[in-house]
Amino acid sequence: MSRHFKYFFFAFLLIMIQTKIVNIISLEGITPDLLIIWLVYVAIINGQMTATIWGFTTGIMFDLVTGNFIGLSALSKTVAGFTAGYFYGENKATMTLGSYRYVIIVLLISMVHNSIYFAVFTRGSEIGIWRAIFQYGLASTFYTAAVTLLPMFIFARKYIR
Amino acid sequence: MQRLLNIILLFKEYFVVALLIVTSLILLSFNDNVQIRAIRSYTIGFIGIVQDAVSIIPNILELKRENEILRQLNVNLSDEVNRLREARLENMRLRTMLGMKEKSEFKLVPGDIIGKSLQLLRNTVTLNIGEQDGVKPDMPIISETGLIGKIITTSAHYSIGQMMINKDFRASAKIQRSRIDGIIAWGGGNAVQLMNVAKTADVKVGDVVTTSEYSSTFPPEIKIGVVSRLAEQPGSLFKEIDVIPVVDFPSIEQVFVVTALVDTERINLDHKNTRPKK
Repeated sequence: MSRHFKYFFFAFLLIMIQTKIVNIISLEGITPDLLIIWLVYVAIINGQMTATIWGFTTGIMFDLVTGNFIGLSALSKTVAGFTAGYFYGENKATMTLGSYRYVIIVLLISMVHNSIYFAVFTRGSEIGIWRAIFQYGLASTFYTAAVTLLPMFIFARKYIR
Repeated sequence: MQRLLNIILLFKEYFVVALLIVTSLILLSFNDNVQIRAIRSYTIGFIGIVQDAVSIIPNILELKRENEILRQLNVNLSDEVNRLREARLENMRLRTMLGMKEKSEFKLVPGDIIGKSLQLLRNTVTLNIGEQDGVKPDMPIISETGLIGKIITTSAHYSIGQMMINKDFRASAKIQRSRIDGIIAWGGGNAVQLMNVAKTADVKVGDVVTTSEYSSTFPPEIKIGVVSRLAEQPGSLFKEIDVIPVVDFPSIEQVFVVTALVDTERINLDHKNTRPKK
């Protein structure tokens, strides 16, 4: 139970950082998705069920904080958490987190997340779905993966000697 | 029964993900529901307090850029003030002659941006002013340079604004020089698009685009941007017009909300007329 309280607090903190501080490092309006990095971490450590539920929870929290499209981040992050759960391995979690596998998993999950997000987001708008996925989705995916290098190095120092 | 439970337990991950996906889709389809709006309002109130506290962290990278923009703006405004003084005097003379009553000035409520969501094209801002300051949904947000967007959600002390670079944003606009009307919408990228302008219309690159009198939400003559590109597609009746907004969205920190403007009588009349007759 205390683990979930810790997760809730951490998710809240990340959402605050995402909406307040991450804009400082935005490149042409593209920002990394810290919640995806964290969600993949949760999936690798705890497995599919926990990641799916926390994907939904962080998504709905983010939707409420950003003010519109309630349910959109919840939907995309639920699927992202579920997909990330396939990379769960009880005995090799720390190995995965401290290696480039973590970055590659984040890259794949971020791509899945952004594809679902933009498929719904662009409906009924002037923005084309493919343009959104390739111009914004891919840029955000690679930026998120690049930022994942930082926790990866921390985990590598911590777990792999 | 036991067998069914066993199946559910065996595939519990799939049942949970299906349940959560369905819940998300239901929430998506009930976005304007009163209860959802109330939950959103409470959340903004709570989150706003936290964001307000965090807003003491200065964005050093943007300060220099903002300084330069403000200096340039100062020069432009000084020049414009001189010209406006002349125009106002002339306007007063003409209005008196025509017997028109002086247009009332807008009531502006100043506010700070305490949160900005530029992630994945959401493009919303959180302001530290809310219902207690007279802010309501649909009120326009402007800055000293031009139009920023409109309020979409409010709580007692905070509100969330939708920026012009948001896929759901629409505003009636016109070309200042030729008085050609159109609709401003955003299709991604740095520019917004002026839509529904006929191919024969008089539009040139460099023309200034402002809000039009036809809007029931935005006051007229608020600067939106400058025409940057014109194109024509063979199968279309309309021009493709790109407009570069005058507002630098990533660097804005202070805004004004135009209150006491939403003309409910006019909006109701518009809705009444556009509703299909039985």
